[in-house]
Amino acid sequence: MSDKVSSLIDITERDWSADDFWENFRQIERITLELSQRYHYSLGKQSRFFIELANRRFFATACAGCGQVYAPPRPLCPACLQPSEWRELTGEGSLETWSTLHFSPGTNADVAALQRPYVLAYVLLDGADTLFPHLLRAEGLCLRRGLRVRVAYNDGPVSHPIHLMCFVPA
Amino acid sequence: MPSAPVIAAVGCTKIASEHRDCNIRDLLADALLDLLADAGLDGLDAVEHGLASYESDHFNMQMTLGAILHDTIGMTPKPGVRIEGGGATGALALRTAWAHIQSGLCDSILVYGVEKNGRGLSSRTANQLFALSADVDWETAIGGTYTGFYAAMMRAHMAQYGTREEHFAHVAARNRRNAAFNPIAQKPMNISIEDVLRSRPVAEPYKLLDCSLLSDGAACILLASEAWAREHVPAFESRPPVFFTGTGCGTDTMRLGDRYPHITNFRAKQTAAQAAYAMAGIGDPLREIDVAELYDSYSGVEIQAVEDLGWVQRGEGGTAVAGGTFDLDGALPVNTSGGLLGRGAPVGATGILQAIEVAQQLWGLVDERRQVADAVRGLTDTHAGIASISVVNIFERRD
Ligand SMILES: [Zn+2]
Repeated sequence: MSDKVSSLIDITERDWSADDFWENFRQIERITLELSQRYHYSLGKQSRFFIELANRRFFATACAGCGQVYAPPRPLCPACLQPSEWRELTGEGSLETWSTLHFSPGTNADVAALQRPYVLAYVLLDGADTLFPHLLRAEGLCLRRGLRVRVAYNDGPVSHPIHLMCFVPA
Repeated sequence: MPSAPVIAAVGCTKIASEHRDCNIRDLLADALLDLLADAGLDGLDAVEHGLASYESDHFNMQMTLGAILHDTIGMTPKPGVRIEGGGATGALALRTAWAHIQSGLCDSILVYGVEKNGRGLSSRTANQLFALSADVDWETAIGGTYTGFYAAMMRAHMAQYGTREEHFAHVAARNRRNAAFNPIAQKPMNISIEDVLRSRPVAEPYKLLDCSLLSDGAACILLASEAWAREHVPAFESRPPVFFTGTGCGTDTMRLGDRYPHITNFRAKQTAAQAAYAMAGIGDPLREIDVAELYDSYSGVEIQAVEDLGWVQRGEGGTAVAGGTFDLDGALPVNTSGGLLGRGAPVGATGILQAIEVAQQLWGLVDERRQVADAVRGLTDTHAGIASISVVNIFERRD
């Protein structure tokens, strides 16, 4: 944390009323502060999903109690509060909804490197009961609900293991 | 249960893209001074409890800000608590204050909400911080943004029900027009539906003018039992009492995809509304509610809200909105303040600002160009994220 720049804001130009309540406090200084953190971040019981992406395999979780298949995985089925089982999916599915994003938050190096606009897609993977959110690389293609897509893998290096995959048209 | 608490007094700052001469403590001080003037009080000696409402520790680079705010306005050594619920923070704070009064824990509680989201950080950094309020492992890491999640929901709504961009452009234009009649509003604009449609795309189908604002601002409400307000607040007798008659809260999964196949609307809002209606004794909300502030973080969200609040059938929100049902001269005027789109949205203060607009409408004290004639019941609708938490509060004037 450091103060690098200091500036005085000129607010004397303001149209002050005769009985300004804050007349003794018209000088305002603004400084620049910086704060950055590095997290040693555990992906916890979701970890196998990310580990298997490097092996070009896509895993969801299935609940033995209610049969719900969650992608992204849920170690604990929220409906049954029972531990799930890992289940491999083919990585193919269909596009349910999407948005084309013209601004990037630059969340990590992979997101910062994205060509804009990029497509945030929600995909119903074959064999899953939930929608999986990820980037859909389909430059020039007219998107429509029901479009068949598949997971495409890469070997990295990536800033976050979720970027070892994205969706592409099947 | 004891009878509902009353809104004893209200106060707020102007909402702005930046209050350069105020830090977050100064903003709260100004809102509090406004409340004291409204109440006819010269101090807070009689007030028993404080409740701080703000969303972000990151924007202010300050943790335990609630304690600092409590100290700033001289509430020590009285009890205080901080409430956080994303975008729903202010409404959740009022709901919590309601419970403090109803439980008998105290007879008076000052709810103070404040946020400096405006220009203290670059909009890129601000968007990064807001993205941390999505699921960091699955949604934030891929480059998702809230504008994108809302936009994907709206696209599903359009595909399912035939809702059109013109329908939500109506909201974007109308709420900014309403803001012109509100002296505290951040960005009143006289714009047409075509202006909205032509603004640059942000996350399709949402365009720049479909998106709400980043704001600096503060707002306070003094909530009390009716007897306490009569005894301690000089201004209380001068206007018809407004009671806080209903509050409902609902929740939903964090990620939109986990709600499949229900991705067009907000289940949490349906839950919250039904609970609030039951508590307030409302059977036919479209007829019994006279004025409402809806959470228009994006223009299309208001269309989803009028459906989820049970005012129109699912899928008919777009045509009802575009047909003028919720305009100032419509059957149920909404966002008379200008909403998040026109008045602005200092997150921790937003739900409180909504309740202030409703209270002042029920008192008959707002600019006549936006005053709803003889309004008796008003509603606020606020949510966090894509309605992972939703709060509906209802207020009623009893002459
Ligand atoms: Zn289960």
